[in-house]
Amino acid sequence: MSLTDVMSGAGLTSYAEVALVISVATFVAIAIWVLRRPGEEMEANRWVVLDDEHAGAAPTLRDGERSKDS
Amino acid sequence: MRSRDQVGADRGERFGEGSDRVNPHLEEFVYDDATPRAFALLTVIWGVVGMLVGVLIALQLAVPALGFGLPFLSFGRLRPLHTNAVIFAFAGNAVFAAVYYSTQRLCKARMFSDWLSRLHCWGWQAIIVAAAISLPLGYTQGKEYAELEWPIDIAIAVVWVVFAVNFFGTLAKRRERHMYVSLWFYVATIVTIAVLHIFNSLAVPAGPFKSYSVYAGVQDAFMQWWYGHNAVGFLLTTPFLGLMYYFLPKAAERPIFSYRLSIIHFWSLVFIYVWAGPHHLHYTALPEWASTLGMLFSLMLWMPSWGGMINGLLTLRGAWERVATEPVLKFFVVGVTFYGMATFEGPLLSIKGVNALSHYTDWTIAHVHAGSLGWVGFMTFGMLYWLIPRLYQAPLYSEKLATTHFWVATIGLVLYIVPIYIAGLTQGLMWRALREDGQLMYPDFVETVVAIVPMYWVRVLGGLLYLAGAVLAGVNLVGTWRARPATYHEPVHRAPALSPTYTDPPVPDSRLRGLPVVELAHTLDVWSQAAWHRRWERLPFRFTVYVTIAVIVASLFEIIPTFLIQSNVPTIASVRPYTPLELIGRELYISEGCYNCHSQMIRPILAETKRYGEYSKAGEFVYDHPFQWGSRRIGPDLAREGGKQSSYWHVEHFRKPSDITPNSIMPPYPWLESDDVDFAAIPSRMRAMAALGVPYDEAAIAGSVDTAKAQAATIAAQIATQKGPTGLDSKKVVALIAYLQRLGTDLFAPPAQ
Repeated sequence: MSLTDVMSGAGLTSYAEVALVISVATFVAIAIWVLRRPGEEMEANRWVVLDDEHAGAAPTLRDGERSKDS
Repeated sequence: MRSRDQVGADRGERFGEGSDRVNPHLEEFVYDDATPRAFALLTVIWGVVGMLVGVLIALQLAVPALGFGLPFLSFGRLRPLHTNAVIFAFAGNAVFAAVYYSTQRLCKARMFSDWLSRLHCWGWQAIIVAAAISLPLGYTQGKEYAELEWPIDIAIAVVWVVFAVNFFGTLAKRRERHMYVSLWFYVATIVTIAVLHIFNSLAVPAGPFKSYSVYAGVQDAFMQWWYGHNAVGFLLTTPFLGLMYYFLPKAAERPIFSYRLSIIHFWSLVFIYVWAGPHHLHYTALPEWASTLGMLFSLMLWMPSWGGMINGLLTLRGAWERVATEPVLKFFVVGVTFYGMATFEGPLLSIKGVNALSHYTDWTIAHVHAGSLGWVGFMTFGMLYWLIPRLYQAPLYSEKLATTHFWVATIGLVLYIVPIYIAGLTQGLMWRALREDGQLMYPDFVETVVAIVPMYWVRVLGGLLYLAGAVLAGVNLVGTWRARPATYHEPVHRAPALSPTYTDPPVPDSRLRGLPVVELAHTLDVWSQAAWHRRWERLPFRFTVYVTIAVIVASLFEIIPTFLIQSNVPTIASVRPYTPLELIGRELYISEGCYNCHSQMIRPILAETKRYGEYSKAGEFVYDHPFQWGSRRIGPDLAREGGKQSSYWHVEHFRKPSDITPNSIMPPYPWLESDDVDFAAIPSRMRAMAALGVPYDEAAIAGSVDTAKAQAATIAAQIATQKGPTGLDSKKVVALIAYLQRLGTDLFAPPAQ
């Protein structure tokens, strides 16, 4: 018996519902463990993006320079 | 709110990340900004080119004569050029600019290899140039957003591998233990695009610039929209979300609203997105279960998408007053808002009842442009206005010009999408409108076209404004570039290397000790503390493997049954392979991009079967490598075109369609009557088809040229008999007519011998 025969005989009338249940369960599991993670850790991680001392302000006009807008 | 210094100084000392932070040896490094600088410049250049082609084809829909009777300017060939240019050149280069800039900063490391960075950058541009040449010349695989022929496909795969090696190499040598969420989105992009591109592009070469998809009919359609949907997801969504999570906090100078929400956003998006592709094929010959599955998962996408949008907008809490004055934030706010709108509308369109109305209409085009112009375009320009002064180390040439760009683009965006939404609804309702006696209210297709042409003119105006905005961005970039220093300053950064002797923190103990619970409860409690995920986040390769598994499992869940279940594609005894001349005619149909305006899929909907005939069956397409179902009906469906008109009618119609059908917006194809068929190519084409399982035997292939010439002579004689032109025996128009006259006729033919 080939895999084709197995799949053809399996019947997929409830396939979408099974997939839906799996996905909702996955989503709930993700949400649960994310919400249980330490708040301090989350707070530290969200600051990583700003923890870059060299990419701060954009260059500004030097003395004597005039802006195109002025 | 805690200051950046406070948090930055002591982060890493907690949660078991501290062992490598005590390394006293600071390493010095310099970021490579030449690569993101090049990508940023190329983003603007290709953006202008791609949008210019878009405006031209929008004009051609209102004034078909603007193709000037030239093959390389025809709508069918230029539309793929437009889509490829804006997706892979404009958005692609923007993604690379974002990745190359932010990855170095987030990893506190220079890119893995300067040489690979340059190879990636210029290799990608070479691919774009190859596309810009080959598509107008008619070299195409005929699959939307995957049109490029096999040599270019191989080049794409090679350059993508170069990108992946460079990116993952950088992750491997990073000096920041935690991988920030932007990097997760980049990982998902790199992995998934590779999987999609490779499997959708599998083809058998039939010549230097010709190949046939290894899939046929319904299976090819499934693979194409698995690719097409996820290309939107993983080239136009996930990398731009990575971009959002990096550049929006940078511009707002405050961290992302909720890191928890970003994690939920990431995993649920990656897990769910891949399943949703079949919603592009509702009411087609795709099996019902696959269609329903696609709709359900599309609806679930509302969750992560809106989570992401809310996370983005709430990041601006406390900074909203700056939105009024800073063009970067203006672009980001509108961009994120359009992300929310487009990702609300996408699932809405996946609902079968809505899709029955919207599919094949301009509603889809409006939806796509709300996402691409609103989300992708605005996020790109917001990022560029933030990046350009930093990359060129000079003040932005003109803030006022940037603000003008914002307003011009916003007005252009509205003027583009609103009339096209109206056009889509109008045409969809006209197609399905029935009189009291049950007959079509608008039986002549062109009536439904005439009704929406005024909307096409408004779209041209909107597109022009959006293009003008992109030109202003170019002016701003060039002005800033001119003020750059003679030599770019390359600041030296310092950070400790990650300790090679780093050990993971101990696995936490169950918090249920002492309580009367079974051992499984302790195991589950330890698992729920997520130490394992924190370990993944520090291990990029393992993290990548899990992302890959999430994508592949979801794909296989749909692909395996689609390909294995025999009843998905019921055999029809009367369906036969194309004759040699029809095969070469089909090649012309693909080459001219007819699928950009005509579908070949009659849905089992009353108004459609009344207009076009018997609905399409999966078994009718078993020899169609590739499928040609199309996604938009600018012209009528052609699935049952065979025998509807005389061959001479087709000759006159190709010569000047508006002479045959007044008000038609189909362009003329005069070259079909003057160019010769390449009969010598037929045997190689048939051999490639035979390799794919089409039952052409060696004798048929050996005699294919003579067979094709004989059929061409027969059709040419018919045309002459019908008082048409003579001497068309060797012309392309005859081959294309042979194919058109075959379309949809097998269903009613006697069973094949």
